[in-house]
Amino acid sequence: MTYPDSDDPAHPARPSVRPFLQSGQFPAGGYRPATRDAEPPAAEQTSGLRPFVITSGRTDGADPDIGMETQVTVNPAAGPVRLSPEMRAIVGLCGEPVSVAEISARLRLHLGVTRILVGDLRAAGQLDVHVLDNETPDPETIMRVIRGLRAIT
Amino acid sequence: MDYEQSPDRHVGTAAVGSGDRPKKAPVPVKIIVAGGFGVGKTTTVGAISEISPLTTEAEMTSAAVGIDDPGQATMKTTTTIAMDFGVLTIDQTLKLYIFGTPGQSRFAFMWDDLIKGALGALVVVDTNRIDDCYPAVDYFERAGLPFVVGVNTFNGQMSYSLDEVRWALAVREDVPVLSFDARFRGSVRDALLVVLDQALDKAIRQKSSYP
Repeated sequence: MTYPDSDDPAHPARPSVRPFLQSGQFPAGGYRPATRDAEPPAAEQTSGLRPFVITSGRTDGADPDIGMETQVTVNPAAGPVRLSPEMRAIVGLCGEPVSVAEISARLRLHLGVTRILVGDLRAAGQLDVHVLDNETPDPETIMRVIRGLRAIT
Repeated sequence: MDYEQSPDRHVGTAAVGSGDRPKKAPVPVKIIVAGGFGVGKTTTVGAISEISPLTTEAEMTSAAVGIDDPGQATMKTTTTIAMDFGVLTIDQTLKLYIFGTPGQSRFAFMWDDLIKGALGALVVVDTNRIDDCYPAVDYFERAGLPFVVGVNTFNGQMSYSLDEVRWALAVREDVPVLSFDARFRGSVRDALLVVLDQALDKAIRQKSSYP
């Protein structure tokens, strides 16, 4: 697996060695969001083997910007790369805008695993992750939702 | 922004994606539907969603808050929980996601992720087990997320009046307590509209305080 954007400071390259090789030098989840101080130590997360392997040993490396409802699309400028089956499946779903939660549900991947892989695919330039500018919705947007809801029967 | 659409370039990739030019991604907004097990969260989500509710599994490590054991304040548990969610397309550029989430306090860790950017929450209550929703009410109050208490009237029956429910939950005056029927789309829609009213109030207040 390659990370063409490894120089991008926003998405530091993550080692993709096998978990057992990684455990010494890089504690699991070596990249962790700085904003969340309540986060439990990664060592105490005992997920099953398979999700652990899929994410190269990371259990909490998900980008905090990638929420459940965050929309994801294929990056039309993406170059060809070899991807794991899980990653190929994710990219395959993103021809149309789709949320992280939908990807997780349709591929039956754990949500946490999905978030990590989507973050990796974003760093690799395969996916566009549409992070919203403003975290809290503005009144105009809420008004549109209200009007839309009122219109349904 | 760190995503740039370059719709004119089209490079063959491992992508199975069809599109010549991807559509502009809609803005997602979300509402949380919370409550204890079996109070009708999934029914609520299913009634309003345009797709059959999907289920995502989240593996969560979280502190077992609220368990009466001061000697093990650091006790952590890893739990796989299933979360149901639905979608309602408002228009081409706006999508409403409705997430149903278990209301137990030991899942509080997940809620932090979940409520980020959420418009508001509907706390579903079964009057036979009112205390099941305490953790959700507590959490949303502390998080400052607008929420509405919705008593699910299974078969039109309520063991207690709305005033009694309000008294039992001791929610603030400005938190609406209403009854609805999770099986009916119109009823769920009306309950969500009350949530959105609360969300709108908060958004307007915030906007006026930070011009």
